[in-house]
Amino acid sequence: MTAERVEVKQKVLSANDRLAAEIRADLTSRGVLCLNLISSPGSGKTTLLEKTIDELKSKLRLAVVAGDVQTRNDAERLERHGVPVEAIETGGGCHLNAEQVSKSLSGLGLSELDLLFVENVGNLVCPSSFDLGESMKVVLMSVTEGEDKPLKYPAAFRRAGALVLTKIDLIPHLQFSAERAVENARSINPELEVFATSSFTGEGLAEWLDWLLEAAERKRSG
Amino acid sequence: MHEMALALEIGGICERELAHAPESRLTGLGVQVGAFSGVEVDTLRFCLEVVLKERHGDVAIEIEREPGVAACLSCEVQFEVRAAPFECPDCGSVARGVTGGQSLQVSYLEVE
Ligand SMILES: Nc1nc2c(ncn2[C@@H]2O[C@H](COP(=O)(O)OP(=O)(O)O)[C@@H](O)[C@H]2O)c(=O)[nH]1
Ligand SMILES: [Mg+2]
Ligand SMILES: [Zn+2]
Repeated sequence: MTAERVEVKQKVLSANDRLAAEIRADLTSRGVLCLNLISSPGSGKTTLLEKTIDELKSKLRLAVVAGDVQTRNDAERLERHGVPVEAIETGGGCHLNAEQVSKSLSGLGLSELDLLFVENVGNLVCPSSFDLGESMKVVLMSVTEGEDKPLKYPAAFRRAGALVLTKIDLIPHLQFSAERAVENARSINPELEVFATSSFTGEGLAEWLDWLLEAAERKRSG
Repeated sequence: MHEMALALEIGGICERELAHAPESRLTGLGVQVGAFSGVEVDTLRFCLEVVLKERHGDVAIEIEREPGVAACLSCEVQFEVRAAPFECPDCGSVARGVTGGQSLQVSYLEVE
């Protein structure tokens, strides 16, 4: 028997990408802005979402899909702020995929939404490879993580549209240059929107919230 | 980090391709992995061996690495890069972004 070579040239994640494209088309047709939040564990995603929900829920119709490797803790924290939350427990999985998101979206009334957050699994490596159908990826980085995070994990910063530098209230206690961190991030992705925030003192949150309001408005009006 | 999940996806692509030719046996597999795909090549190879073994026996796995390429923000030169930050070798400014090295695809199957 002679061996025969069959050209395939198929992306390994093509099934995920196809489903993500369907999610994106669906969300876009309903005018829903969807942000996929990516960071290391503990960078402050859930805390920022809690603040954001409190400030914006009178102005926008919000919902969250919260992914975690184990437990529904984040989802329960967020639910207390009075918006619909769907939890995804990945059971060991290091990232969310489009199939998980698609399933949890069926539990949310999408037509009733303006802004949907997806809190990805805490991990700066894998989540950036998996399209979830979001409008934009937002990468978070806390000031305790060191200025060179963007250089060590370039993919997350390259594929994001915005960077939120979190926990800036801690800067006085650290040797951390926010300018250097932002410079590093922009060396990977010159087009990044950058926000510097503290969910504890509220510093920098106004800019973040204004940007969200504007982006949601733009999405709604197509 | 999720090489096992990727290996299972690749196994699924093999099954779907082989469904077109049910009598043929899989003997070889070519996968292209970009420098910026975030995939650990040795781990992927190990996971693929495990995934393919049961149904197909020994399959010759070829992993082709796609080099990382970035384009300069100022002079538009394209150049190969390994680690960030990506500085243009011609003018020294930072790269606009990656133009190559993100692929992760099944290139070919070999069947008998
Ligand atoms: N000092 C300070 N700590 C924060 C801030 N935001 C979050 N944290 C703390 O960081 C830890 C992790 O936050 P969390 O929101 O759960 O991170 P997540 O894993 O990214 O969702 C918690 O102990 C928070 O109280 C902040 O703005 N300033
Ligand atoms: Mg969290
Ligand atoms: Zn992963």
